[in-house]
Amino acid sequence: MEILIYGITNSIILSLMSLGFALVYSISRVPNFAHGALYITSGYIVWLLINKAGLPYLPSVLLGLAAASLIGALMYRFIIMRIRGMEISEIIGTYAIGLAMIEGLRWGGLRGMTYTLPAFVSGSTEIGGVSIDYQRIIIIITGILIFILLFLFTRYNRIGLALRGIAQDERAAMMLGIDSDMTAIISLAIGSGLAGLAAVLLLPLGNIVVEQGYNVLIFAVAVCVIGGLGSWGGTIVASFIIGFAQILTEKYISSHFVMVVALLAIVVTLLIKPSGIFGKQKQLEERV
Amino acid sequence: MLEGRELMVFYENMLALNNVSIQCGDGKIIGVFGSNSAGKSTLMYTLSGIILDIRKKEEMRGGERISLFGNVLFNGEDISEVKPHVRAKMGIVLCPERRRIFPESSVLENLKIGAYLSTRQEAKDNIEYVLDLFPRLKDHLKRQGGFLSGGEQQMLAIGRALMAKPKMLLLDEPLLGLSPAYQDIVINGTKAIRDSKGISIIVTEQYARPIIPIIDYGYILENGSNVLSGTKEELLDNPDVKSAYFGV
Repeated sequence: MEILIYGITNSIILSLMSLGFALVYSISRVPNFAHGALYITSGYIVWLLINKAGLPYLPSVLLGLAAASLIGALMYRFIIMRIRGMEISEIIGTYAIGLAMIEGLRWGGLRGMTYTLPAFVSGSTEIGGVSIDYQRIIIIITGILIFILLFLFTRYNRIGLALRGIAQDERAAMMLGIDSDMTAIISLAIGSGLAGLAAVLLLPLGNIVVEQGYNVLIFAVAVCVIGGLGSWGGTIVASFIIGFAQILTEKYISSHFVMVVALLAIVVTLLIKPSGIFGKQKQLEERV
Repeated sequence: MLEGRELMVFYENMLALNNVSIQCGDGKIIGVFGSNSAGKSTLMYTLSGIILDIRKKEEMRGGERISLFGNVLFNGEDISEVKPHVRAKMGIVLCPERRRIFPESSVLENLKIGAYLSTRQEAKDNIEYVLDLFPRLKDHLKRQGGFLSGGEQQMLAIGRALMAKPKMLLLDEPLLGLSPAYQDIVINGTKAIRDSKGISIIVTEQYARPIIPIIDYGYILENGSNVLSGTKEELLDNPDVKSAYFGV
């Protein structure tokens, strides 16, 4: 029971961390290595709004998410757009932006254990004899809501459908009047917003420390590589695999190895099935 | 309506289109015939603007250098440098070679993605129109596009292009790899689109014979040059054309 509950929580946490990265990659083919930096930056922005500007919790969170989306969109418009299509440059470029943001925050004084975000609701309860705090329950509920919302958005909304069209065949979508720069901006805005949302939900579990930015990026990349880059279903399945693997390691081996699990999983995936669990559907492409 | 004027396209030093001029009037069906590598697809990419995207991507990758000369005019306006999605908005919609269905989306979703430029009501009406035009699609609405047969995919591709409310429809090799039965469906569908909606159509094909009955005017490309053009009767009467493109 303990493993089940902690496993589910951990898996949803992982998928929240990586969903934004997966979404941006699948739509715009831009590997957004600034994802972790956006995560930590939006956490810090919310902290600033609450503690320095004195705003109440909810408006700060909403403003923080809006700021994250805006940063993502501007990042695309002014930097990524110029280097789009050059894969190595995209990685170097986004990673450099992320590095600048994270180290900028460190330089600006985001150090030590003094920065914490408040939980949405504090306190805890027991489920099946396992104690779990309300924040984790909210994480699970929000995570599931986000999956459902994204699913509906990409199936029933005009823009959402356009995003899926671009994700599957950019040029064919272009012929139908869909602007690929516009969808890329939207994907980065949504992806960054998701990074911000993850930050708001997850940071109250610990302190805001800049190293989190790198960890989130590593987890996001691990989950996406294992699930198959560009596959949304794969992202969720992979988060559950890694999520449970981590909890099992923590329980039966040692908590020091939790980070190793994710990296080991990347290596194993690349050795056995380099395209990931749900990599591009090759059998379909051959028929066309 | 749509006009290409002295179009020249180079891939590096290879001449893909050599001084081709083509015209399509309102409500006309124009045929473009030629063998493999005659420049049909390049012509379609140039008219639809996709060539600009290809050029940009190649430039980014440091790949082939693509040079374009000549003008594309739409209703008298020069649109040579207008991006493909803007041209689609103007009404020039390309139904590409090899169909390029969205393989992971269902048939219905493919149509809905095509309806990006339409309002909800227009989309609904157009889906109805497409399903009336190709009733066979009705049986597969929920099936993934990638699992359809070639003929069904072609119907879907044309239907999807219609969802974008074209005024000028470009069909690139719609009969490629289709059985004669499906060829008839596609050809009759093409004619029906023009007759019922007044949409102008340019259609390319390797073999002229199945298409020729429905065209108003035809062009024949060879190695990127327009070697011959004329009305259906003029093409049919030309002995060279007869042997080369009709297999008579």
